[in-house]
Amino acid sequence: MKLKLYIPIAVWLVAVTGCATAARKNPRSGAVSPADANSPGKANFDVLEFDILEEEFSDQIIIVDPIEPWNRLMYHVNDGLYFWVLKPVSQGYKAVVPEPGRVGIRNFFHNLATPVRLVNCTLQGKFHSVGNEINRCVINTTWGVLGIWDPALDKGKIEPATEDLGQTLAVYGLDNGCYLVWPLLGPSTLRDSAGMVGDYFLNPTFYIEDDEARISISVVNVINKTSFHIGEYEDFKAAAIDPYIAMREAYIQYRQKQIQK
Amino acid sequence: MKRLGCILFVFLTAGQCISAADKNLNDPNEALLARCSVAIGDPNNPNELLRATWDSVVNVLKIKNLDPKVKENLVDKIISPIFDFALMGKLALGRTNWPKLDASQREKFTALFVERLKASYREKIMRYQDEKVLFQPAVKNKDNIQIPMTLISNDTKYAMLYKLRRAGESWKVYDVEIEGVSILLTYRSQFNDTLSRGTVDDLLSQLEKTAGS
Repeated sequence: MKLKLYIPIAVWLVAVTGCATAARKNPRSGAVSPADANSPGKANFDVLEFDILEEEFSDQIIIVDPIEPWNRLMYHVNDGLYFWVLKPVSQGYKAVVPEPGRVGIRNFFHNLATPVRLVNCTLQGKFHSVGNEINRCVINTTWGVLGIWDPALDKGKIEPATEDLGQTLAVYGLDNGCYLVWPLLGPSTLRDSAGMVGDYFLNPTFYIEDDEARISISVVNVINKTSFHIGEYEDFKAAAIDPYIAMREAYIQYRQKQIQK
Repeated sequence: MKRLGCILFVFLTAGQCISAADKNLNDPNEALLARCSVAIGDPNNPNELLRATWDSVVNVLKIKNLDPKVKENLVDKIISPIFDFALMGKLALGRTNWPKLDASQREKFTALFVERLKASYREKIMRYQDEKVLFQPAVKNKDNIQIPMTLISNDTKYAMLYKLRRAGESWKVYDVEIEGVSILLTYRSQFNDTLSRGTVDDLLSQLEKTAGS
């Protein structure tokens, strides 16, 4: 147990310190190269209109990706795992477990992870959300029978928070660092990986002593979650020219929106 | 002979327009389109425009025993007028990359990109299974308008954002965000990446190669 605790802490520390140094290197786009003005075809081009619309996209974050070959490899590993393992298993699971059951399991795991959101709402000073999370947890654990139902949302219209440690670190001024793709866990950044490790300690499932039980529980959680999203990755991939780049961009934008919320 | 062909063509198309107006339709697809279309009350109201378009699409999708190809075609006809596909192509390349294309490359790029956008939109929408949509009031963002929409499917909520701008008489969509992820920016970073490694022709051939995959 002791060793098990030390390894994530060490990873976390390395990641956080690494992040802090990498943070300053994160460039932002929005700069336009002056060479454009002389480019061909400029004349028949509505520059003004373009400028107005371009402004809206100028806050696009360009993520540094120094270990792209490795990340690409991991992307392909995950892609293969999805199509060969996760998707068929989730499809089978979906066929056997009716939707209300799957929703119940999803709610249960969501309720169990309340400490993650509670701590991060507190760290970000979002006290309204702290109150919401406490209310939700109390209502759903009792009235919702261990969180299987979500009467707090259905009846009380109390929306869940979506905070995690990666976002908290961002609020504290840490930039993404570089892009990272983890096997099994998927796209992340240096900062979000640090956050993931921290959040791991806040999730009660981490404190299950029996390794087999702990792993089985997270496997069920992942398969259950996936059963709601079959087809989404396929669509995403079909629309992309380079799915790796598309995924990287989508991840960064998605996280940015979450942080701003 | 050529002239005769022209006259015949004009007659035929004119005939179709008139019959469409009369709602006395010979072409079953046009009849379906007319039956499914929800009238747009006020074209100046972008919310109304989106809602009416969505309702029309849903009406098409609800028809049972209809050839999927025909359905796709109908959906295409309904959504095409509210998207500014050509502008989306321009913006996806961006101010840095668009000028790198010459006229014929632009034409080819726009055609390929528009077809890809349409195809991916169609694919998403064809899997429609009684999802609920909630349109929220439009938010003004400088000269443009943004309409948030929530799509509820299997108890999962997806936050969508339609960005519209005025194009002549009507409003047109130039970008869609799904869960904060802009379709345009996602394409832009892919185009940036491809163009930083290769030429415009590489980009075009890649667009061609990955079409319909």
